Amino acid sequence: MSGSDERRVSDPLDLESPPGQARAFAAEDEEEASVHGGPAADVQGRGRDDSEKLDQYLLRRYHLYGDRTAREQLITMYLPLVRSLARRYASRGEQFDDLVQVGAIGLIKAIDRFDLSRGVELTTYATPNIVGEIKRYFRDKGWSVRVPRGLQELNIRLNKVIDELVPKLQRSPTINELAAAASATPEQVLEALETSQAYNSVSLQASPNGEGGEEDAGLIDYLGGEEEAYDTMEDRTTLAPGFAKLDKRERYILHLRFFEGLTQSQIAERVGISQMHVSRLIRRSLERLREEIGELDNPQIMRPPGDDPH
Amino acid sequence: MAERIDLEVPATLNALSTVRMVLGGLGARLDFSLDDLEDIYLATDELLRTALDADSLDRLSVEVLLDDGVLRFTAGSFKSAKLRADVTIHADDCLDLCMLLRRTVDDVVLEDDDGAYRIVLVKRRQGSPA
Repeated sequence: MSGSDERRVSDPLDLESPPGQARAFAAEDEEEASVHGGPAADVQGRGRDDSEKLDQYLLRRYHLYGDRTAREQLITMYLPLVRSLARRYASRGEQFDDLVQVGAIGLIKAIDRFDLSRGVELTTYATPNIVGEIKRYFRDKGWSVRVPRGLQELNIRLNKVIDELVPKLQRSPTINELAAAASATPEQVLEALETSQAYNSVSLQASPNGEGGEEDAGLIDYLGGEEEAYDTMEDRTTLAPGFAKLDKRERYILHLRFFEGLTQSQIAERVGISQMHVSRLIRRSLERLREEIGELDNPQIMRPPGDDPH
Repeated sequence: MAERIDLEVPATLNALSTVRMVLGGLGARLDFSLDDLEDIYLATDELLRTALDADSLDRLSVEVLLDDGVLRFTAGSFKSAKLRADVTIHADDCLDLCMLLRRTVDDVVLEDDDGAYRIVLVKRRQGSPA
């Protein structure tokens, strides 16, 4: 932007000092913002009309005249919004600064794709873009090895398809049934199932479907004190070799599978998570037990006295 | 009509995913359910991992026989006495390899093979003749 451009921007809205919306964002404490409804709410109380005028002015400068400085100014103005949204996801295992950077990409995309003719506010348009980018980042980072996007998406589809087919068929579906329901080939289904093992385990506080919505119940809610068998199992198995290394959910699922003889689909239904997640948990639990048993040099994994499955 | 597939892979953990993929494809052809496939994966994975630990092998030979809804998985030959014990001896009601195999496949058989032995796991599709 040239000096004259800058003056033209500054004059009507006093850009020598921070602009209305930027001032509102910059001044707010992020904790406070989350309590009071975030930056958008804050802006409403601090000269929203002026802020919108400034947004529209800068967006027009950028989109109609290619003014890159206007674009940068918009990015700077809305970074506090990105930080506020990123903070909501900061407790899920990723660095806050990384989430801000990812969210900023969503903001930049929103600014670049903004359609002046649609008459919406930039905040309205940018928020889902920022959140979407952060969620996509979590989805990609959830994979411990690089898995092609197509397979990741097939995996998500399969999760839903399995959940739908099991109650409908009253049994575990076959690969061909899954392929037909997910509009994929059996080979693609097998590959997606295999790669699903590369997906990182979610924490007990995460939602069962892995989406992590704030309103969702955590897995720990599905393992509550109502499960009498769980308490019994817990008493009998915590002292077994290697077992202490597993968390409650892992112990419970192994118990259901190998001592009560439930199938993975039945366990999924009982615990309230997907069959694919049960599969991952069983494999990882066995892996951890194997490592632990290797250290103990003892082939025995778990001994619940008096519980003879045969 | 029975169909036989022979597979020889390096005796490494990385090769186990190849075995799994082959088994998955064959299980799908037999119209096994997802639960049954997961059982086969678990059984073969645990068996072969234990075998790799217990026996010093360069190559791992696997044979899969498909016949009328039945998948017959054979691995070997092995010489390890520990592996033989792990597969056949179930200590009380512990979750050991022996119990895991019993819980995931229909039959576990050891076949003599000229001084060594091969391990056979049999998995039947639900509704297949026993």
